[in-house]
Amino acid sequence: MATYEVFLKKDGKDEFRHAGALDAANAELALVMARESYARRAEGNLMWVVDRNDIVASDESFLQPNADKPHRHHDGKAVAARRKELREKQDNRDARENQS
Amino acid sequence: MTALRNYILSFADDEHLMGQQHIEWIGVAPFLEEDLAFSSIGQDELGHAVMLYELVLGIDETEPTDQAIDALAYRRPADHYRSSAFVEFGTTNWAEALVRHWIYDMVEQLRWELVATSSFEPLAIVAQRADREERFHRRHGDALLDTLLHESNTDARTRIVQALDNLAPMLGSLLEPPADEAQIIADGVASASVASLHEAAIAAIDERFGTNLDPSTGTPGDGQRLTRSEAFAPLMSRMCEVLDLDPQAAW
Repeated sequence: MATYEVFLKKDGKDEFRHAGALDAANAELALVMARESYARRAEGNLMWVVDRNDIVASDESFLQPNADKPHRHHDGKAVAARRKELREKQDNRDARENQS
Repeated sequence: MTALRNYILSFADDEHLMGQQHIEWIGVAPFLEEDLAFSSIGQDELGHAVMLYELVLGIDETEPTDQAIDALAYRRPADHYRSSAFVEFGTTNWAEALVRHWIYDMVEQLRWELVATSSFEPLAIVAQRADREERFHRRHGDALLDTLLHESNTDARTRIVQALDNLAPMLGSLLEPPADEAQIIADGVASASVASLHEAAIAAIDERFGTNLDPSTGTPGDGQRLTRSEAFAPLMSRMCEVLDLDPQAAW
């Protein structure tokens, strides 16, 4: 027996998404059983089943980032704050020019 | 019309009772995914039965309401059914359920082929609709049997061969033609007799199970599907258990 991960893709531009997992004696049985367990209500029109042993996987420590690299977290907050500041300065300048 | 009605009814009743038998495995099939798969396949067979019962009601000039379909499916006297002993037979042996599923679907495919170009067009349309589901049913049966016959211990193989020994003689009931089938063939509703499928069915079984069955195994009878087997009454009482609690209830 092996554990198989099941992925389904809906029609159109949607990507394959993880739907679940099941144990099966071989790949053909995994495919047949996955169809009824995860796709019998037309949840997708394409399906992958992947033997979990065939997935190239990392462990958590491999992915753990160093805490001191904020420059990699470019979530846009610093840029947004700077833009807001400049916009307000410009607004103030405009207001003064209109008064004079 | 009676010959046509009889012909469609015999197929419908087989589909109905086979579906019912498969669905009885929900909750007790050997593993969870098979639980879902087998009862889902049973639902497909019930769906085919509904399409065929609708054709029967059309012949009867009766509106195909849910009530009318239920009355036809559940409320006829036993001697009005045209099912085969092969589908009436009840089993709690998983090997028998699996082998019957495979044989039934193999024969079912051949039966749909007989009416694929039927002169009775609604029947040809039902045959087309059933075909896609049937392809999956056969793949499901084959996947399980491939594994159990070729990748498992000898115990699995022994049980399957034993199940086949028990079921093969009943093949004849599944291939038994209903009354006046000759007229159906003359009218172009079916291309050949259901009994003519026997040789192909035995060959398919031998290929699948690696057996060498006597060619006369399960030879179709000439009872015209007029009598019910001993298993019919208990099956019907299981099927109607809830319905019988309150026959007047509106569903």
